[in-house]
Amino acid sequence: MGLSKIRQIEAHDDSELSFPPEGDAKPYEVFIQLNRGQPHVHSGTVDAVDGKMALSYAKKHFGRDQECVHMWVVPREAMISTNYDGEIIWPLTDQGYRLVRGYAIDVRRKWERFRDQEELDRYQDDDIKEMF
Amino acid sequence: MDMITDDLKTPFSQLLLSIADDKLIQGHRASDWTGVAPILEEDIAFSAIAQEEIAHAAELYRLVADLTGGNADALAFGRAAEEYRCASIVELVDEFDWATAIARHFFCDHLDGLRFGRLANSCFTPVAGLAARIQAEESVHIEHVDTWVQHLGHGGDDARGRMQQALDALAPHASMMFEATQGGELVESAGLFPKADADMFDQWLTGLKKITGQAGLTLNVTRPAPDAVGGRRGQRSGDFAELLDEMSEVYRQEPEAAW
Amino acid sequence: MSAGVTTAVELKMDWEIQEDPQRTADFQARIDAKGLIEVDDWMPHNYRVGMLRMCEHHANSEIVGALPEGEWITRAPSLLRKLALIAKVQDEVGHGQMLYHVCQDLGKPRDQMLRDLCTGKTKYHNVFNYPAPTWADVAMIQWLVDGAAILNQKSLAEGSYGPYVRTMKRINMEEAFHFKSGEDMVLTLMSGTPRQKKMAQEAFDRWWAPCLMFFGPPDSDSTKTGPFMTWRIKTKTNDTLRQTYVDRFAPAAKALGLIIHVAHKDKDGMVAIKPDGNPDMVVDEQIQFDEESGHWGFTQPDWDEFFRVIKGNGPCNKQRVALRRFSHEQGHWVRQAVMGSAGLPPSAN
Repeated sequence: MGLSKIRQIEAHDDSELSFPPEGDAKPYEVFIQLNRGQPHVHSGTVDAVDGKMALSYAKKHFGRDQECVHMWVVPREAMISTNYDGEIIWPLTDQGYRLVRGYAIDVRRKWERFRDQEELDRYQDDDIKEMF
Repeated sequence: MDMITDDLKTPFSQLLLSIADDKLIQGHRASDWTGVAPILEEDIAFSAIAQEEIAHAAELYRLVADLTGGNADALAFGRAAEEYRCASIVELVDEFDWATAIARHFFCDHLDGLRFGRLANSCFTPVAGLAARIQAEESVHIEHVDTWVQHLGHGGDDARGRMQQALDALAPHASMMFEATQGGELVESAGLFPKADADMFDQWLTGLKKITGQAGLTLNVTRPAPDAVGGRRGQRSGDFAELLDEMSEVYRQEPEAAW
Repeated sequence: MSAGVTTAVELKMDWEIQEDPQRTADFQARIDAKGLIEVDDWMPHNYRVGMLRMCEHHANSEIVGALPEGEWITRAPSLLRKLALIAKVQDEVGHGQMLYHVCQDLGKPRDQMLRDLCTGKTKYHNVFNYPAPTWADVAMIQWLVDGAAILNQKSLAEGSYGPYVRTMKRINMEEAFHFKSGEDMVLTLMSGTPRQKKMAQEAFDRWWAPCLMFFGPPDSDSTKTGPFMTWRIKTKTNDTLRQTYVDRFAPAAKALGLIIHVAHKDKDGMVAIKPDGNPDMVVDEQIQFDEESGHWGFTQPDWDEFFRVIKGNGPCNKQRVALRRFSHEQGHWVRQAVMGSAGLPPSAN
């Protein structure tokens, strides 16, 4: 059989390897941007010994499945994160006053004094299209 | 221009074949590391490079087929050994030695950067456009392989020794990449493969030595003798017959069939 | 984004363990509400170990799965097939890399996982212990085995562990290309010369049973209700997945003109040859669509063979582990060099 030379391995043994554990290289988080104007999104992690190597690996690994215009790699140790357990990011107090939903119903009710139903629906559609 | 005269078709296709065959066989050897390379991330990267080499070869074969007939697969898999035009450096088995694989790419990728730079200025527009695109991808290969030469050169005595040994072993084969193809002067003077300002061999060697110098390695490559005959004239190295048998094992079962 | 787990995790299941009841209840409530668990979340010890083991087994399978098809990279019969096969095998390695990272973040270094794999301490999927002796096997692997993998992974993508679920979704996107390319190869062979069709049928006869076994042994009561199901580490039982697979692939094979056989295999994983020189197999008469149940029937594969192969006595177990080990040993000096060359002199960068 014309099997490639490097793959013709017959010897087999389950003994321990002759060298000690090597340890892993440093993890770098990879963020890709699919098009200009879009945010960078987390795509995966590569292990590398320095940033240059990490970027080179990230390009080949995470930059080839989809078209991609830009990429960041960040050493994981440089990332500072929150904790899921008990750390508050989104305040528990109602924040309706700083959100659209805090006003939407009131505004519509108030408009009803000035406009009929059909007009109001059209206005609301336009509102969604033009303003948001 | 997008037509060339009949007298130039054969010499130009000889040149294009020499480059395409280098790339096919370099990519073929490199692709054999897929799944068994030393580091997972490198496995993926090296495999990507192998794919690009073979994809470049495929595009060059299509150009040759347009010039002289046939098709890309028949050129890649269906020729007799002496009809291939690659240099021996791409044919050699690397014996599963990473330093040898890297040394091969170091010599080949630097040359590709230069020869595609020249082809990008070709008066034959179909080649010029393709060459400019390939050259851009080659610069990524060069960056990748240069980094490896640096890592191995600075990776301790054992690694430096292995890298040095691989460079020394491949150096004579590397220089034979510069063996002239049949009718080579004709395609140069016709502007199909225009000469650059500086001599290509000198430029190549300067580029390589910059990296080996930084990596604490030495390089001994000399220009091939003008009458040296090698791969460009169909002389094959010992490893090629086996390579070709393996590569075309399935293709030759039914060359006319679609696979 | 996880800061990673830095404390060493004891990687054994412990069913005597006393977990905090409140945390356990909160954890189960999140899972029951189809919520996802992230690496930084508290999780029961056995969930962590179970998840890690399953993911490590999956990662190992990707890495070893690159080997049978890898054998055909240097022999692919056209430029297109050569490129596609390299890309496919490269994807497997990429999947292994991503899955190992899920495990690394759960507490086991990749280096240790690769060592355990090549010294036989951990396992990989049984299906990769079968041989790929012809080009048609590559086609069948990409169609039948990758088809099975997609079904399985789709169900795993509905699991509870966020990092694994995200990886599954990504992997499935790439598997879709493998599957399509496999379909294309099978269709090409079955539209080809008599020799190509014969090649395809013979490869099909080798791969059908291993693919039925792909989903694991028949369900017992415990697998239907066990902790892996309640924690949504698994979401569908083996038998459910197997039936879905047969429902999809039996009619497709039939339409292509492939015949589904019940075959007896020799120790090399090839269909055994009877003394009269004919292959030791019969047409599977169970392959019939049952209007009432809406499912296709099939003959169960040889489960004794399954357990024999899992114990390490399959046709290719030794060869696969040996090549993986050889690769790891050959790469040792390279990894040493790279680790040692961290922070190259300024001139080099």
